[in-house]
Order: sequence, then structure tokens, then C-alpha cells
Amino acid sequence: MQPSSVLVLKAVFSHYWRHGWQTLFLLVGLIAGVGLWSAVQIINQQARLSYEQADSLLGVQASYWIHSRTGKAIEVDDYIHLRRAGFRQIFPVVEAEVSTQQGQPISIIATDLFALPNNLLDSGEGDTASDWLSFVQPPYRAWVPRQLAEELELQPEDQLLLRDGRRFPPALIKSHSQQGRQVLMDIAAAFALLNRETFSYLVVGNIEADQLSQLESLLPDRLELIENQQHLDLQELTQSLHTHLSAMSLLSFAVGLFIVFNAVRFSLWYRRPTFMNLRLMGASSSLLLSAVLIETLLWSFVGAGAGIVVGLQIGKVLLPGLGASLHSLYDATVDTQLIWQFDTLLKAWGITLLGLLWALTWPLYQQLKRNSLPANLISRASLDERQSRHYLALSSLALIGVSIFLYPRIDDAISGFLLLGLLLFGAAWLLPTLLAFTLRLVSHLTADRQLIARWLIGDGWAQLPALRTAMMALLLAMTANLGVGTLVDSFRSAFVGWLEVRQSADIYLRSSKIDYDRLLDPQDSSTWLADSHRRIGVTSRWQGRQTLIRGVDTGAPDSLKLPLAQWSGITPEATLKQWQSEENTLLANEQVHYLAGLQLGETIQLQTDKGLIDYRVIGFFYDYGNPNFQFYLPYDEVVNYWTQYHSRGIALWLKKNDEATQLLAEKAMREAGAETGDWILQSQVRKLSLNIFERTFTITAAMNALTMIVAAIALLASLLAILQERLPQFAQWRALGVRSREQMMIIACPILIFVLVAWLLAIPLGAVLSWILIHKLNIVSFGWSMPMRWDMLPAIQLGGVILLVVAATLMLASWQLRRRMPNALAQLGELA
Amino acid sequence: MLSIQNLNKSFKQAEGDVVVFSGLNFEMATGTSVALLGESGSGKSTLLHLIAGLDQVDSGEIKIDQSSITSMSEAALAEMRRHQVSLVFQQFHLISTLDIIDNIRFQAALCQRFDSDYEALLIDRLGLGKQLKKFPHQLSRGQQQRVAIARSLLHKPALVLADEPTGNLDEQSSLEVMALFSALVKNAGSSLLMVTHSREMASYLDRSVLLHSGKLGEIGAA
Repeated sequence: MQPSSVLVLKAVFSHYWRHGWQTLFLLVGLIAGVGLWSAVQIINQQARLSYEQADSLLGVQASYWIHSRTGKAIEVDDYIHLRRAGFRQIFPVVEAEVSTQQGQPISIIATDLFALPNNLLDSGEGDTASDWLSFVQPPYRAWVPRQLAEELELQPEDQLLLRDGRRFPPALIKSHSQQGRQVLMDIAAAFALLNRETFSYLVVGNIEADQLSQLESLLPDRLELIENQQHLDLQELTQSLHTHLSAMSLLSFAVGLFIVFNAVRFSLWYRRPTFMNLRLMGASSSLLLSAVLIETLLWSFVGAGAGIVVGLQIGKVLLPGLGASLHSLYDATVDTQLIWQFDTLLKAWGITLLGLLWALTWPLYQQLKRNSLPANLISRASLDERQSRHYLALSSLALIGVSIFLYPRIDDAISGFLLLGLLLFGAAWLLPTLLAFTLRLVSHLTADRQLIARWLIGDGWAQLPALRTAMMALLLAMTANLGVGTLVDSFRSAFVGWLEVRQSADIYLRSSKIDYDRLLDPQDSSTWLADSHRRIGVTSRWQGRQTLIRGVDTGAPDSLKLPLAQWSGITPEATLKQWQSEENTLLANEQVHYLAGLQLGETIQLQTDKGLIDYRVIGFFYDYGNPNFQFYLPYDEVVNYWTQYHSRGIALWLKKNDEATQLLAEKAMREAGAETGDWILQSQVRKLSLNIFERTFTITAAMNALTMIVAAIALLASLLAILQERLPQFAQWRALGVRSREQMMIIACPILIFVLVAWLLAIPLGAVLSWILIHKLNIVSFGWSMPMRWDMLPAIQLGGVILLVVAATLMLASWQLRRRMPNALAQLGELA
Repeated sequence: MLSIQNLNKSFKQAEGDVVVFSGLNFEMATGTSVALLGESGSGKSTLLHLIAGLDQVDSGEIKIDQSSITSMSEAALAEMRRHQVSLVFQQFHLISTLDIIDNIRFQAALCQRFDSDYEALLIDRLGLGKQLKKFPHQLSRGQQQRVAIARSLLHKPALVLADEPTGNLDEQSSLEVMALFSALVKNAGSSLLMVTHSREMASYLDRSVLLHSGKLGEIGAA
């Protein structure tokens, strides 16, 4: 004979074999929640690992970089001189941007492969010596990362064709951990392709202190040694983005938990008779509690294990897009090959267990404290529902109160998301009370109407306990969808408008060899050039962050239309004129205002080569997506005070933006010393910028869609649970002559009323969410603002989508009902 | 009123088919009441379900007012139950979210056959006048069964099918409810087929038949 504890476990667990749908939904809830959460965890972990490797270029630790002080290229002789002096840890790098014939921008990175350690080409894909040799010998090889090759539809040995007719070396398609989206080749291949014989910069590997001072003394004046602080900067700069992602994943987990909560609640509810019988037969409360705890443990193992597998798959899909964005925004390279870490599984198991315990604690407590089975489950559920609704409403008011208190105190992304979490859950917990209020209102309005209306409302009360959690999940998903959607739309609208002003020139040229006088010679350029804007800059650190002091032509077309977020004059135009005419004034990007706390009209001191100079801030300009500080000063001012300035290129406005004029411009640029890859057309810059923008929000859209799917599953799970619970009742209705479509109407109408209320609440809540995201979180996280652009159309579209989701779930429920009704009818009249 | 010809029904079970009815025949005239007696498991409730169209026959024919229900679609069966047939079960099956007056009016409202005088009479005879605004769970079992009876009769159906309607009540209440029930069915002009274990309950009705080994046998006029 089996021991009593085994029998109790069998009796408790047998529920899941008999109720396949509940088992399925419990699993789906757990796996979806854990999957979405762990996907972002894995991505964040991957990014952090990559940042730790970020100061290594192609496997070599970069302690320092050697750059030209004037922004020009580094001559080969300088490199040879340093190597001959014994600095074997120094190697050269060429970086360039080129365009394919189809206008796709490609980044090239090249180095002297002989100067690098032997493991350089080790991509973990079984590289051979012949691979290595083929890189350094004509016709050379271009090492194209897999993802880029797929985007370009490039096959091995294909030679990419550039806009000017030149060809890349034959492609070798492989991915290296720090390659990102760059195409790697030997320096000799790059020299041939780009028709240049200079390096962009030199990298200094691990170096001892005494060697360092020797190196400093050896460096010619035109070169400078810059310490690698990228690792620190990347961690700091990207932290907010990762916090955003983590917050979204936690929201998804919470929505998944709603399904779990529902499924667990239903499973306990159904097992009331079993628990009661077991207690009557002498099973102690502690034995039953242990059985449920073992059940919880088993579910947490299964949920966390399967959730991680799903999370890895989602991570694989989302990581390339995010990696590309991180590279574009922060110059951070994230390896797209996911690395599995055991602690992710442990964390996933931990939060799953906590979530399950939270979902179980209250219902189980209620279960065990009752000693008798109520005669009428529905009325018992209604009583429980009323009580828990009151608790939820009180908790909700407390959460909303705390979030109002927190609002003026937000100073970083974490506190901002804490506030959003409190507000969202506060609103979600208030929803059941609002649903009950709506039912009461409709009931009041239909009191004297037809019986069928009263029946419908009455049934709404019966459905409320089962649908409450699903509606809260749906509300959260809809709010997140609307709030984040508004953020993205506002950003898109602001960004596109901003791009039009900031990138109004037709060509952007940046070259270390350009002869500007020759390029801008009025006689030679009269056929193609309408206007130009030459920019210079000095890179330094201000308030602990990388800062660019830019010298610009205050009368250039793009300077005259610089989009200002704040200005000290009467109008932005007046402020720009003041900047042109008044000495010792500057414009700063918004990041300086929001992240460093600088106010309009304040005076700051900048360290120049001629000592500290005071500048008054007369305006803050929009500078979307820039993680660094930036000051705009008149061109001559920078030339006068910073001798080590370097060129930041030149913007060229063509007389006519057609192919013929572009070709004239290209010819002139080449004659002035520019090489292929030194310039980029406006259309390409905009395409690149918009691509970065779209990629950045791909993950947001994906998480939103997945969260919405999870909420739809919660709704379906609840509906099916209602059907299962109330099947005998529905059979009785049919026995009384209720038609099947009338029955579905009675079931559907309260759901539609609930969904309508949730949707109506999601609209203002979504607006509040986007307001906080735009006016608080975005500012404290990234340091720039934008106008909020609210549009009702997405809300209406979302309403349509939700209606489709509800219709689909109702159809599924209706199919289930039809399938099970004959059996229920046959059992009608049997004692329960 | 009710005619059953050569009815066959069996249930599939793991150990093989269990035959419930084999060539069962039965006739019942309009306005009469019949008690269906039999041992537990003899198929009394199954027969009631088949007549109400809640279960399907294997073969044979069931006619209510000359209409064969064995060939009806699910929708047609729902229409038939709505207009012609009423069911009263031991568990009352009231709608918990509606008050008592709405429960009483429920089926009459569905088939839009409502007689306010008859409603007043039913409420008065069943003693439900003070309970109308209450909800089912606020009533005793006996009161709930009276509500179920009022609901089944308000639209004056052609046929009332009752499955142990007093099985949930104590003896005294059972007798009171039964007396009222049979009288009200007569008053409505409906026919009544009632499943019961009790010969005492059966004595309130016109005829009694015994279901045994899948066949019906007349016990004799009451």
C-alpha cells in the first residue's frame, strides 16, 4: 500500500491531468513571462560582457590610443618609427565609411594583421592557416559579419561593388566577437580599396608605466596619447537603455504572472472539494500545504527551464537589432552570439518561484481557513470578489498616492520606472472597482428594461471574479502599448523634423587630406556649390563626460535654423542672432542642461589653451541620441582659443541636388584631396539615421507585441476557465430553451463591457505613461526632451486589435462550449 | 401528446456497450400526468433527457405533438424546449444572478408567452409573494423548488418533464410541493412526465409506469 502522503500528492496533482487547458495555460503563463524576462536579461548580460571586452580591439587590449592632434591621419612612418623603437604592442587601424552601389553604408576596419596576436582570426569556427594567409596576400579577403552578409545577400567569395565602381576583396563570411557590423580586412587591402596610405589612429596594447613615459617622450607633437576610458563610458552611457529594457521585461513578466495567478487561482478553486474531502479523511493542513508547495516547486522548475529556452530564442531574434543600435548610438559592439550563463537560470527560477508563491499564498490561505464547501460557488466567489476588490482598491489608492509623492523626486531611470510600476499597478488594481461600478451603473440604467438586459448584467457579476485578473493584464498591456507607442511616435516626429534642419546640407565631407581653399575656390565651385559650412572641434571631458566643443559658422544655413529647446532671447531667431553678434556666448545641447544641471543664462568656464574663459549659455539646442555633451561656439573663437582643434568636416549645399551636380561635386572633392569614403550624401545620412532610429525601437515594438499576446492568452485562459466552471449552468440555460447565439451573447456582452472600460482607462493611463516617459524618464536617462505628440488614431487602432483578440478568444471559447455541451446536457440533473 | 416508438439507446463503456433501452414504446395523451418509476440506474433520467432532446437516441422515434424530435437540429431542439417543454430538476437550477421574479419569468420571457394573471396565481398558490426581490441563495430549498415550478409553468408548456423534483426536500415539504405541482400542471393544461422513486409521489399523478430492463410496463391507473 502507498503511504498516505503519496496518495495525497496523487489526489492533488491529478487535477492537472483532468484539466488540460488549465495545465496548458499555467505553463504558457510561466513560460511566456519567464521567456520575455530572461530574453532581456540574456541580452543585457551579453551587452555587459561585450562592454567588458569593448576596450579590446580584435582581441588586443587597448590601453591607449594615438591620434593626430589636428584630426589628420597618421603617417606610416610614424608607426614604423614606434615599432622600431620596440613598441610591439602598437598596431595601426584604418576606419572608413563607404557606400555600396545600392547606397547601403558600410563601415570598414582594417589593421596590420602581422602586428596582431596569433588568435586574431580565431572566430571559433575552425579557422585554418590558409584563411589567415589569404587575408594578407592579394587579392586579400574582406571578413564580413554574418548578419551584414545576410542583409547584403552576400555569398562567400562575392566582391561587394562600391558606389564609385571599386570592388571589395572576396568575402569571407564569419563573425568575430568584437567585429560588430564592421567589415574587417588587412591594412594593405584597405589601402588599395580606399586609395590611401595613412592610418586613422594607432592602438596601444598593454603597456608598463615606464614604457608609457618612454612612449610619450617619443611621440611627435602632432600626435597625442589618449587613455582608453571607453569601458567606463559605455557602462555609464548604456545603463539607461538597459534599465528601460529591464523595465519592459519586468512588465512582460508581470503580465505573464497574471496568467499564472489566474491559473493557480482556478486550479485551487476547482480542487476545493478534493481538499475538503482529503481533510475530512484526516489529511492535515500541513500535509496539504506541503503537497501544494511541492507542486509549486515542480511548476517553478518546469516554468524556469522552459522559459529560459524560449528566452534564448527570443534573445537570438532581438539581439542583432539591439546590437546594431548600440553600435550606432554609443559605438558599442555587442556580440550577437548569445552566451548562456547558469546564473540566468537561477535568477529565472528564483523569480518564478517568488511569483508562484505570491500567486498561491492568498488563495491557499483562504482555502485552508475555510472548513466547509459553500453551497453556491458563484455567490461565494462574488462575496470573495467584493472583499478582494475593496482590498485592491485601497492598495491601489496607496500606490497612486506614493507615485504622486515620488513624481517630483525622480532623478534617475530606476526611480522613474519604480514610479511607473507603482502607477501602472495602482491603476490595474483599481480596475476591478471600476468594472463593478460600470456594472452597477448599467444595471441601474437597465433596471426597468427587459429581463434579458438584467440577465446580462447579472451574468457580468458572475464573470467578474474570473475575468478580473485577465482584465488587469489586458489593461497593463494596452497601457504599455499606447504609452510606448506615443513615445516612439513623438520621437519619430521630432527626430524627422530635427533631421531635416540638422542635415539640410546635400553632402557631408570629412577628410584629413582635403584642401579646403581649393574645394571652396569661388571660381571652381561656382557651377555646383551654393553654400558651405566648415566645422571644427575639440574633444575634452567636462563634468566627467566626453564633451565636444564645436566651432561653427554662425551664419551658415544650418546654424541659422538650429532647433533650440530653450532660449534666453525673445525668440529662437533672436537668440541665434545674439549668439552671432555677442562675444563669449555659447549654445549647449540639452544634455548639458538636464544631465549636468546647467541653467539658461548661467556662465561656465571652459579650459582653453589660453587659460579659463567665461561663456554665458544663451540657448540649449536639441541633440537627439547624442550621449555626450556638446557646446557650439563661433568658428573663430575655437580657432583663437584652442590650438589643438581638429576638423569636423564640411557640409556642402549644392546648387541643384541632381546626379550631374553631385558628380561635379565629387570631382571637385577628389581634386581637393578627398578619397572614396570621405563623404556621404544627405539621403544616405538620413537613411542611416532613420535606420538607427527604427532599429532602436524594434525591440520595444517586439516586447510590446509579445506582452499583448500574453495578455490575450490571459483573457482566453480566463474565458475557458469560466466555461469549465459554469458549464452545468450553461447546459441548464440550453435546457430552458436558450439558443446558442443568445448564450454566447450573454457571455460576450459583459466581457465586451469590461474590455471597453479597460480600453477607456488605458487611453488616459497610456497618455500619462508617455508623459512620464517623455518628460521625466527620457530626460533623466538620456538628457534630451521632445514635444509629446498625442494622437487618438493608435488608441482607436488598438481598440480594433483588442476587439479582434476578444472576438478570436470568444470564437475559441464558443467552439469549446459547442464541443462540450452535449456531454454537459446529458449530465444535467445529476447531482454534482 | 408524447409518442415513443421502438427506442434504442446504449452507452459505450470500457467493458463494452451497456444497453439502456431496446425497442422501448410509450404513449402519453395530452393533459395527462405520468409517474416514471424504476430502480436506480434503470434509465429513467436518460429517458427524460432523450424526450427533452438533451441526449441523442441510437434509433427509434420520439414525437411531441406529432413533431419528431429525433431528427431535429440542435437549434430546432432549443426552440422546441423554449416553447413546448419545461424541465424541473432536483437541483432547481435557478439563475443565481437574477432575483426570484426574474427567475419565475425567465422561460416565459424567452418564448414571449406571458400571462400576468396566471403569474399572480402561481406566485400566490406557491407562496412566493414575499420572496420576489430576493436572490436564489437567500431562499430555502423548498422555496427554491417552488420557484423552479413557477418558472416551468408560467408559459404553460405542452409538456413538463420533472426529474425527482422533490428529491432535495424533506418528506413534509415534498408532499406539499407535489400536491401543488400536480394541481398547477393540471391547471395549466400541460402534460407531466415525472421521474420518481416514491410510489407516494406517483400517487398524485394519473398513471404510473415502471421502467425495467429497458422496457416500460404499466403499473395501473392511480
